This record gives sequence, structure tokens and C-alpha cells, in this order.
Amino acid sequence: MSRDEARTVTKTEVLEDDVHTDPIDRYLLRRRRRIFWLVVIVLVILVTWLVWRFNVDRPVTYSSVEDHFKYGSIGSEPGGSLSEAVGGLLPPEPIFKVLPALCPDLLPGGYASLGFVFEEGHELPIGVSQRFRLGIEQVGLNCASCHVGTVRDSPEAEPRVILGMPSHQLELQDFFRFVLDCVLDQRFTTENVLGTMEREGVDLGWFDRLIYRVAVIPRTREQTLILQQKLRLLMGDKVTEWGHGRVDTFNPYKGIQFNWSLEQLPLSELTGASDFPSIWNQEPRDGMWLHWDGNNDSVDERNRSAALGAGVTPVTIDYDGIRRVRDWIWTLPPPEYPYPIDANEAASGERLYRAYCEDCHGDHRFKEGEVTGTRVGTVVPIGDVGTDPYRLGSYTAVFASNQYTLYAGSDKRFTHFRKTGGYANHPLDGIWARAPYLHNGSVPTLRDLLEPPEARPATFYRGYDVYDPERVGFVHDVAEDNGVELTPFDTSLPGNSNGGHLWGTSLPPEDKDAIVEYMKRF
Amino acid sequence: MATRKSKWVWVLIVLIVLAVIVGAVAWWKLAREVPQQIDAAAMDEYFKYGSIGAEEEMGIPFWIWYALPQVFPDLLPRPGGYAALGFAWERGSEVPVGFSRRTIGFERIGINCATCHVTVLRAPGEPVPRIYPGGTGNTIDILAYQRFLFACADDPRFSADTILGQLAQTVELSWLDRVLYRYVLIPATRKALLEQKEQFEWTDSRPDWGRGRIDPFNPVKVRLLHIDPGDTIGNSDMEPVWNLRPRVDGKMAFHWDGLNTDIQEVFFSSALGDGAVPKSLPAETLKQLEEYLMDLEAPRYERLFPVDRELAAAGEPIYNQYCARCHAFGGEETGKVLPLTAEAWAVEGLETDAPLFTDPHRAEMWTPEAAEAYNAYTDGYPWDFEHFRSTGGYVNVPLDGIWARAPYLHNGSVPYLGEILEPAEARTQVFWSGYDLYDPDRVGFVSEGEDAERYGKRLDTSLPGNSNQGHLWGTDLPDEDKAALLEYLKTL
Repeated sequence: MSRDEARTVTKTEVLEDDVHTDPIDRYLLRRRRRIFWLVVIVLVILVTWLVWRFNVDRPVTYSSVEDHFKYGSIGSEPGGSLSEAVGGLLPPEPIFKVLPALCPDLLPGGYASLGFVFEEGHELPIGVSQRFRLGIEQVGLNCASCHVGTVRDSPEAEPRVILGMPSHQLELQDFFRFVLDCVLDQRFTTENVLGTMEREGVDLGWFDRLIYRVAVIPRTREQTLILQQKLRLLMGDKVTEWGHGRVDTFNPYKGIQFNWSLEQLPLSELTGASDFPSIWNQEPRDGMWLHWDGNNDSVDERNRSAALGAGVTPVTIDYDGIRRVRDWIWTLPPPEYPYPIDANEAASGERLYRAYCEDCHGDHRFKEGEVTGTRVGTVVPIGDVGTDPYRLGSYTAVFASNQYTLYAGSDKRFTHFRKTGGYANHPLDGIWARAPYLHNGSVPTLRDLLEPPEARPATFYRGYDVYDPERVGFVHDVAEDNGVELTPFDTSLPGNSNGGHLWGTSLPPEDKDAIVEYMKRF
Repeated sequence: MATRKSKWVWVLIVLIVLAVIVGAVAWWKLAREVPQQIDAAAMDEYFKYGSIGAEEEMGIPFWIWYALPQVFPDLLPRPGGYAALGFAWERGSEVPVGFSRRTIGFERIGINCATCHVTVLRAPGEPVPRIYPGGTGNTIDILAYQRFLFACADDPRFSADTILGQLAQTVELSWLDRVLYRYVLIPATRKALLEQKEQFEWTDSRPDWGRGRIDPFNPVKVRLLHIDPGDTIGNSDMEPVWNLRPRVDGKMAFHWDGLNTDIQEVFFSSALGDGAVPKSLPAETLKQLEEYLMDLEAPRYERLFPVDRELAAAGEPIYNQYCARCHAFGGEETGKVLPLTAEAWAVEGLETDAPLFTDPHRAEMWTPEAAEAYNAYTDGYPWDFEHFRSTGGYVNVPLDGIWARAPYLHNGSVPYLGEILEPAEARTQVFWSGYDLYDPDRVGFVSEGEDAERYGKRLDTSLPGNSNQGHLWGTDLPDEDKAALLEYLKTL
């Protein structure tokens, strides 16, 4: 039997009583203790769960490398910490999914109308990855956003989806404009976003609803506002439109990575849209001067730089995810030309090609990794190649100096970039699928490129994916596809000139035809 | 009682252990010296990126320095980070030429000789400039750099939240580093920069240094010697530091006004001017740099551009007749000071009312009082200064690599070498200095036009200290002689 003393101090004395605890008291005490420990355990579990939930970083992964390329994450989803969100260009997944329903007038045809490719069994298009980070489901862009193209044999045919091909059908600038405009639209209120999710069948649990209400939706708006401020000039109408299949590689970077106020740069430097390149068959390219102006000779560094463009930062990048893509495109073969080739004509074209083109561009054997031609992957001064100078001017020595500070303090820091004075001679593997041509995509077909500039089309439409095997390129006189307006391309605008690259333009027409026939074998 | 005593012993032990841990961490994070990873044998690299002791007192915590252009892009003269200030930047380098990273507890960054002593030069058509060590800092706006740092410190955005928030975008700092930066380094850096800002306030009341120029000794007067600069203006072109051996052997005076004739004092005082402190002056390193610069060759025009041999040969006797006495190595007056009051400024046979001597401000800036104070400043050190003097004139400088030393005269007031041979009223009155594109025909950097205005800074020769007056020798030569002389000067 337990015995405690109870002391009572009065003015004159101290009274001490014997206190006997009875079984009821002991029961109550035990019960109180149990409740206390239960609460402690529940709190510990809750805190552990919250810490885990907001710190876990889990990409949606794919076992096949093709799926990883199409849908896997390279780390471009926002990351960092709750207090300091870092990176990313897109709002969280549930919001991203309902944006077209939230602002139907801004994008009547949905993401597909911008040239994103949707496959069966996937809610999100190719090029959009998923990752659970900072406690919510996020989306990001990956390599496939800009490097998956479609080709149709006829308007009625099913499109071939070719991985590694330039996304000539993608309207990336309008995509960014739409995301920025919709998130900053007055309709983007907490109630309306949550309501639209419910109507669209995007299901949030009660906890997610709570954090979306108190944090995620306001935060998304705030982050998007900052992004919009940084990109305002590039998304406006003062600089030439990117249009279908093109991106300004380096100017967004100046605003997003370095916080430069782009308003202080001359418009000529801010005009830099150029065609997406193909990214197959990278192994033989390592050590060549890459990018249109040949500003880098390391495939890996070029990849890390391109990833920045997709929204990664040095602290959110997923090196394993990028490495997997890198290893795959290292040996990814270019697509075979899908239509018949006239072998005789190609053979006579080969002789001409060797005389006029091979030294700078190599030949059909590049797809097997064989580099012929002494100047493949080197830079031709702008005065000699004579093509549009704006893309070259958008990349400055000052900008290169700033790039050397990226990935600071790590062994991934950029050291290969350089300012050049011209454009690089690129190998032409899979060239049939890389239309339109020249670095700024100002010439719709290969056959047109062999015409002198004044005979090349002055205006044409980009973004239509029906193929023209005659002239080797996409059909470019169609202004509309399935109710979607295509981009008229005006070669008289700054950055859009179709001049220069005059090699072969004075040959007789049948020789030009033959060269083009041979190039189908690339 | 025994238990209470042992309790106190335990408390004491715990306190001591804690103090030792805190002390060790503090030493590790604030005072531990790590040698720089630069091959000491590669003096070329050391000149560009090695320490001359400026990090200890004046060094900025590296990550603050790294973040500033991104937090305060609006305080830079134009977009482009530190590169926008004209610092030379080599391919693949994390920091510009002239910046040295050194870990003393935490990593710091400071300046060195190469900050101002490299020439950045691009031949027409070249995309990337060449960088010549030992040159004249022609593109660099060192005052704008200082002012940028001061403006950052003076800005309400200079806080741990904004700076660490920006850094979180690009690097993952450890928890300890974040704490250190938040509570110690960021507030301390701000305070130090604001103190320095006060020490540079005198620059606000006189013409800008501009690109490629510096007031070399008024900062010394204010910061080290506590002498009021008054209304003196010391703005002068940065001088080359290559090919020192013939200068030392010829006992030539250094700095535009020849305020010192002792090469070691010139080196040591320059390091002090850059922020090193006397008690830890790296004397050994400075001697090695001196040795390196002794035989560093000046760049040669002919390696980039053709020279008309015949014309240059015709120019040689003209040079020998009119220039060699003061400017050729071995010349009777070369390396000596010509006081402003000397009659020798007059040109034989030339009648003119225009001033004969060049802008007097730089010579007048270094007063006898300042010279005396600098000689006294280092009393007690084994390398005590004793050769500082006030000369009241300008040195007849040797002309090695003169083609790459534009703009000309001590205050950089004449953009092209050919213009030196024209009377002052025919020289360019307003131009933009600091653009790296070279004009081989006019012998100088392109100083007008859209790009020069964009990359350079306006230099108005009508402002005090900027006058392009004087040095009228050769201005009365016939045009064909001037052309021949200019061709010859290209070969120096």
C-alpha cells in the first residue's frame, strides 16, 4: 500500500496528514497517464508524417527508357524547401491539369492544340513529368517537351511520334503565355481553382484541399507572378515570335537564372528564337561544337544547360534522371526515311553532295558514327555563312561569363561555353525529320534551301505535320489544322531572315533534286 | 555538501567542454587558413587568381559576393553580373581575372594586381577578347564595382532572408554555414561595406574614374593616412606592369608622377592600396610577383596585325629625333620626372597659346604632406617605406606595348595614338572608353558608335582632371611624317 504525506503550512504550524490513495484514484491516475502517452505518440507520428511528407522527393518512374524519356522527371519540378521554393516553370499537377478548363477562352483546344502529344493511357502529354515534392504532386517539363516530333503521311493518317526529333509542331511560347496568363487571371481564385478541380474530376483529399487552400494556390500565384515579371519582355510582342518549333534558348535564362532586367538589353539581343534540334545519335557529336552557334563542345554540359531551360536548378536537378536520358540518346539512331528513295538519283546526288556539302556536314554514314568531312562540328564565321545573325547576337561574351558561375561550388560547373563568331556545321543524320531548315527554321524544305534566298518562300506556315516527300519538309501552305491556327512565318522579321547558306544554290534543278534525294538516306 | 560540490564540478566540466567545442567550431569557421590551390610555379595563374593578402581585412564572404549581382541586378550599370563592370573573364573560370578566393575560416574573395592590370583586347571580327596580363585594365570600371558593393549594403534588401533566399536557388549550404551567414557574415559584411562607403564619399564630388582609370592615391590618403583629399583629383589611366626589368635597371621612377623609385615599395604599397594590411603583408609572394613581372613581355602589335615595314622604317629616324630622348629605353630623360614648371615642355619652333604641359591634377594630388605621411605609415616594419616623394610633374614613360595602352596620356584623355600627334584642339573632346574592340589603323580602342557607348563609359575632356591638353611634341610634323611615326610606334 502506497503512502504519501500531504503537508499544509499554516501561520503557526505545519500539518502533516497521512494520505491513502484508494483504487479509484490510482485508476484515474493511470488513465491520465495513458491518455498523455497516447497523445504524445499520436503527435510524434503526426509530426514524423508531416516531416516525411514535406521532405519526400519521389519522381514517378518508368521501367522502359522510352517512357522515362517521354514522361520521366529530370528534376524540373519545383523543389528546395517549404520556406524557399526553388525552380520549376509549371504549377502543381492538379492545377496544371485544370488550367485549360479554368481559362477555356485562352486555350480553347487544350494542351494538344499547342502541339503537345497525348498518348493513350496517359493523362499528361509527352514531355510533362510528375514528381511528388514539397508535399504535393508536381509537374515539370523534360527533354521530350521539345524533342519529340510528329509526322503524318496525309491529313487523315495517324501521326508517327518520333522520339528525339525536333518538336516542330510545338508552340512553346504560347504554352508559357497560357500558363502565365491563366494563373495570373482574375478567375484564378482559391474557390474557383478548387471548384474547377472538383468539376473536372481531379480529386484532392481533405488534407490536400487544406494545404491547397492555405498555401499552394496563393504560392503558385506568387511564384508565377515572379516568373512573369522576369519573362515579360520575351513573352510580349516587341521581339519576334518564337512560333511553332522554336525557342529562344538563352534569353529566358538571362532573366530566370541571373535576374537580369531584360528591359536594359537591346531588342536585337533579345531576338534569338531558333529551331529545336534533334537529339539522337549524340555519341559522335561529343567534342564537336554544339548548339547552333557552336558555343559548347561537351554533350553533358549542353544537356545540363538545356535542363535549366526546362526549369531545373542546380539544387533541384535530378542527375540520375538526366543521365538515363543521356545514355539513351547517346546511341539512339535517327529515324529512317519512311518513303521510297530513288536509288539511281540518290547515287548521282551523292557525288554532288560530296563536292558541295560533305566537307562541312559529313555524309549518310554519320548515323553509324562515322565522321567524314574535315569541318564537321566547327564554326563558320557569320560573314561566310551569311545566315540570320540574331541568334548569334543573343549569346554574348558577358552571358558566357555568367554561365561559368552556374552550378558554383560543384564539379558540374559550366566550363565549356564560349562566345563564337558564327554558326556551327552540324552533322545531318535524320535531316529529313529536322525541317524546317537553317538555325532559325526559316526555310521550309531541303529543296528550298538549295534555291537562292530570293527564291525561297518569303512567308509560309509552320507547325503542320503532314510530310512533303517531294521537297523534303513539311507541307507549309496550310494555315489551319483541325481548327488550330498555325504560325505564319514571316522571313522579313528580325531574326527570321532566310538569307545566306548559298552552297549549291547555283546548280541546275536536276542536280539539286538529286542532292535532296541522296539526303533522304541520312 | 560533497554532492553539491561535485555537481558544480560537473557543471564546470560541461561548460568547459561546450566552450572548447564552440571555440573549435568558431576557429574552424572563422579563422582556419587553407592554402590556395594554385600552382605556385605557374606565376601566370597566380598573378590572375592568387592572393596578395587583400582577403583578410577587405575580403567579402564568397557566397555573399556571388549572390549580390543576382539580388541587386538593378544596381549594376547594365545587365551582366560582374562581367558588366568590364572585368576580364577567362573561359570556364568561376570568377573574373583579378579575383582571388581564399579560405580563412570561411571562403572569402578579394582583389589582386590583375584586377586592374590586364588588357582586354579584341581584334576586329574576333568573338572573344584576348587577355594580356600586366596590362592597363582598359575595360574595367573599378569605381563602379566599389559603388555597386556600397549600394548593395545600403539597400534594405541586403538582408539574410533575401541573400540566403537567392543562394538557395543555386547552392545547398550546410546548416552551420547558413547560421554563420545569417547571424554573423551577412550583418558584418554589411557593416564593413557601409564603413568603406564613407571612406569613398569623396569620390562623389569629383569626376568619375570611368573605365580603365583609377584615382590611385586619394583612397590611400583617406583610408590609411587620414589626410583630407581636399579638392584634389587623381584620376589616371591604369599603367602597365609588364617588362619591369629595364625600368628597374634604368632607375626609372614609378607611377605617373614618379612618386617612388623603389620597386619593392611600389609593390608593397600597391598591395596595401588593394586592401592588404601591414602586419600580414605577404612579402614573399609580392617578391615572386615582382620577379614574374620583371620579364613579362609586352604584347606585340605584329602578332595580330600587319605592319607596313617600309613606312615604319621611315618612321624610326623621326622617332629617334623627336621621341627617343624621353621615351626610348636608354634615352637620356626616359623614366625621369618632368616637372610641370619645366621649360622643357615647350616645343622648339611651335608657337602656341595652348598649355604645354598635360593636365596638372594628377601631379598636384600627391602632396609633400602625403608623401611624408606614407613614409611614416610603415615605421617599424622591416620593409619600412622611405622613398615616397611629391614631384610636381610627370614621368617620361617608356613606350613598350604602347599600341595596347590606349587611351593615352596619364589621364587617358586621348583615345587614339595618332591623336597625340595632333594639337589639343584637334583631339576628340568626348568619347567612350572601355570597349574592348581594337582599331588597328587608329591604334586604340573603338571609342565611338553604338557599341562603344553601350560597353564603354563617357569621358568628357572638359571636366576637371580630364583635360587632353599638352604634350605637343610632333604636332607640327607634316602628315606623312606623322603617318610614318605612327607606323613605327606600332612596332614598340
